[in-house]
Amino acid sequence: MIAVEDIRARAKDLLESGKVRAVLGYRRSTAGLLAEPAFMTTPEETAALVLDPTCVENLALYLVNEKKRMKHARQSDKRPLAIVAKGCDSRAITVLLQENHIEREEVIVLGVSCEKGGVIDTRKLMKALRGKYATSAAFDGASGVKVSCIGGGATLPAKDVLADRCLECAKAYPIDTDFLFGEKVDERPYGPRFTVVSAFAEKSREERSAFWDGHFERCIRCYACRAVCPMCYCDECVVGSTNFIVNPATTADEKANRVCWINRSASPSENAMYHMVRAMHLAGRCTDCGECERVCPVNIPLRLLNTMLEREALEMFQYTPGLDAEQPSLISSFRDSDPNDFVR
Amino acid sequence: MEPAVARHDAHEFEPKVVAFLCKWCSSAGSDLAGVSRLKYPANAVPIQVMCSGSVSPIYILSAFNKGADGVLVSGCHPGDCHYLKGNYYARRRIFLVQKLLQFIGLEPDRFRMSWVSAAEGVKYAEVISDFVKDLKALGPQTKLKAKR
Repeated sequence: MIAVEDIRARAKDLLESGKVRAVLGYRRSTAGLLAEPAFMTTPEETAALVLDPTCVENLALYLVNEKKRMKHARQSDKRPLAIVAKGCDSRAITVLLQENHIEREEVIVLGVSCEKGGVIDTRKLMKALRGKYATSAAFDGASGVKVSCIGGGATLPAKDVLADRCLECAKAYPIDTDFLFGEKVDERPYGPRFTVVSAFAEKSREERSAFWDGHFERCIRCYACRAVCPMCYCDECVVGSTNFIVNPATTADEKANRVCWINRSASPSENAMYHMVRAMHLAGRCTDCGECERVCPVNIPLRLLNTMLEREALEMFQYTPGLDAEQPSLISSFRDSDPNDFVR
Repeated sequence: MEPAVARHDAHEFEPKVVAFLCKWCSSAGSDLAGVSRLKYPANAVPIQVMCSGSVSPIYILSAFNKGADGVLVSGCHPGDCHYLKGNYYARRRIFLVQKLLQFIGLEPDRFRMSWVSAAEGVKYAEVISDFVKDLKALGPQTKLKAKR
């Protein structure tokens, strides 16, 4: 288990010495169970830093947002940002480094290993508590999560309340770190990888088609999945217009009839297009942090699309994203031995 | 009225195929099929691209969305790319697109990739005839087509 005091001390030290301009971590939120992301800029604030299974968010997103903000900031503090990163988050940082979106000097990674744990899934938790809102959750031993809620509490098996991606996680510790907290544990007490996606791929075409039609139909195109994804950092998205400048004289008609790849109307076929384009853009980049699925207000199983491509990348091209910032990316590399039998 | 309906039924479904052909090989191959007066279905709309590697997944998805019943991506044989390795990149990317399309439940026969060199007019005619034959059996594509 990681002693959170160690991380606090390290964060405090970094801020006191002025090596970093801020520490990105988690603190208790004022609403709900999940910890909230925090930008800590003074050493005193680090006392609020927490680390437990409610720290679900992928903080790599804020590196991307911060870069966008810094671009327009009048004065820029060139000192690096320190960031608390779980295994999946640190892989996301590695992908950002691999794509030269951020520089290694811009970030100090405080890597935390999940060891045999992970983060909780609030939907599962609520189901386990029969609709009650949990107020706190912490690991109790290796395989139990101690949960308290109004009017009671319970220790639930970790298998039942951990997020799906944590159950399938193959590397629960960060690789590229400046400071590592916790042990690098390779053996995880949960099931093998890709069980859900393999089972789904076995289904008949009609079943799969109906399944996705039903899900894409419900998509409201709120773009929460795009907003929360650290890999979705394009300045202009394909669902936006292409080279279309809106000025005060632009009529509503012109806006409606502008040229764009995917129309904004939330119709099932266009929703399917949007999600497929997003899945393709994440092929070989998605580190399976599961944020898109978590934030989806209509519970579309977006991880299923991403893990499918992750599985293909691993099985057909032996590619795992986020392991090495120096390796060429999946789409920008090839081998002579790549599958060729599907081509006529 | 009735004879008109009967005639309409007898009118066979003609699939729309969007074919992305690379400029250096497949496009020349289709040209050769033309100048050799080979007979093949006229269902394919050829779109010349500079390289099969320049075909973005969104071209393919967009073609389906805008009403294509089938999409073909065709380029030079491996090793013959005008830009040396464009078709290798394409092969990897198209493989993933194909897997994704199948995963969400599109019929596998609706999307195809082929290698057609500038000398293979006959092969091009064959690829198109096979594709159109398979698509006729499948009927119109509704899965990704925009409903307006």
